[in-house]
Amino acid sequence: MDFDPSANRVVGTARIPGGTAPAKKAPVPVKIIVAGGFGVGKTTTVGAISEISPLTTEAEMTSESIGIDNVGQATTKTTTTIAMDFGVLTIDQTLKLYIFGTPGQTRFAFMWDDLVKGALGALVVVDTNRIDDCYPAVDYFERAGLPFVVGVNTFNGNMAYSLDEVRWALAVREDVPVISYDARFRASVRDALLVVLDQALDKAIKMKS
Amino acid sequence: MTYPDPADEPVPPARPGVRPFLQSGPKHSAGGYTPTGEHPPVEQGQSNTLRPFVITAGRTDGGDPDIGMETQVTVVPGAPPSRFSPETRAIVALLEESPISVAEISARLRLHLGVCQILVGDLRAAGQVDIQGIENDTPDPETIMRVIRGLRSIS
Repeated sequence: MDFDPSANRVVGTARIPGGTAPAKKAPVPVKIIVAGGFGVGKTTTVGAISEISPLTTEAEMTSESIGIDNVGQATTKTTTTIAMDFGVLTIDQTLKLYIFGTPGQTRFAFMWDDLVKGALGALVVVDTNRIDDCYPAVDYFERAGLPFVVGVNTFNGNMAYSLDEVRWALAVREDVPVISYDARFRASVRDALLVVLDQALDKAIKMKS
Repeated sequence: MTYPDPADEPVPPARPGVRPFLQSGPKHSAGGYTPTGEHPPVEQGQSNTLRPFVITAGRTDGGDPDIGMETQVTVVPGAPPSRFSPETRAIVALLEESPISVAEISARLRLHLGVCQILVGDLRAAGQVDIQGIENDTPDPETIMRVIRGLRSIS
C-alpha cells in the first residue's frame, strides 16, 4: 500500500467540481428488483442478464408474522437470515445496473423498504403453477408505488394459464403489463427488463411534469 | 441474533403442493444457478468464525442511511493508515482493485450485508472511503433512458 498523499491524486480533466476527486470515480448505481416466489426463476433471470455470475449476499431481516398466510399464528418478530442473489450490468463508464433477486415470502416483509428505495422498477416473476406465490410481491410494489411488470416465466415453454387468466388472478391495474418471458434466455430477460424500464420511464416523466 | 432455518427458497420442484415456507430441508441460496443446492455459495453460519455482532462490536444498526446495498464504495487514495479490524482491512484491500458495491463486498468477503454496511460506514467516517449511492430516490427520466439504451445494445 502506498500512503504517499500526493500519489494517485491526479484530478481528471473533466472533473471540475469538488477538486479532489478520487482517481477512480465510482459509477452511479441504479437497480431493478426481481421478485417472486420460490424457485420461479429469479436467479436464472438475474444470471441470464448479469455480466458476472450471480453473487449471493446474506442479509439479516426481521420477519414479522403478519400477512395472509399465517392465520392463527401469534405475531412475533424474529431476526432471520436470507440469501439474496444479484447481478451487475455495466451500462457505461458512469452507470452500473444492479439486478437484485429477492425472495418474496410473506413473512419477510423485511427490508423491502431498503431494497426498493431508489429502485427503477421491479419484475415480478410468476410460475403459472403457483401463481399465488407472487401475491406478496405484487401487494408490496402496489403499496410502495414502484413501477412493476408481471413476468410469467415460461420455463418449459408451456403455461398452465394464459396471460389474461394470470392478469385476472392477480387483479393488477390495467396499466401493469403482464408479459411472458423465458428466464433462460438473455434476450428474453432483456426484453422483460425493457418493459419494466418503460414503466419506470412513464412514471418518471409523470412525476417530473 | 439467531439463525432459525427460514426454509428460504427451497427450490426442488419435487413438492409442488406444499407451501414453500412449510417445507423444511437444507437451506441454500435463492434460485437456480446451483441447481442441486449441493454447493451453496455461502454456508449458513459458517462463513465467519465470528458472529456478526462481534465483528461490528455489538452494533446491529447501520447508522448511515446513505449506504444501501448497491452503493458504490471507493478507497480514498492516500488516506492515512488507521487501525481497523481484519474484516474492515479486507474491505479496503478488496476496494483497491476497483470500486464495487456494498452487496459485492458482502458476497465476496462472505460477510452479512448488514455487517458490511456498518463497516463501510466506519470506513467512511474515518475518511478511508468515498461512497456513491443512487442519485435520486425518484429516478430521473434521463438516467432511465440511458439504462434503456444500454440494455438495447446488448444481445
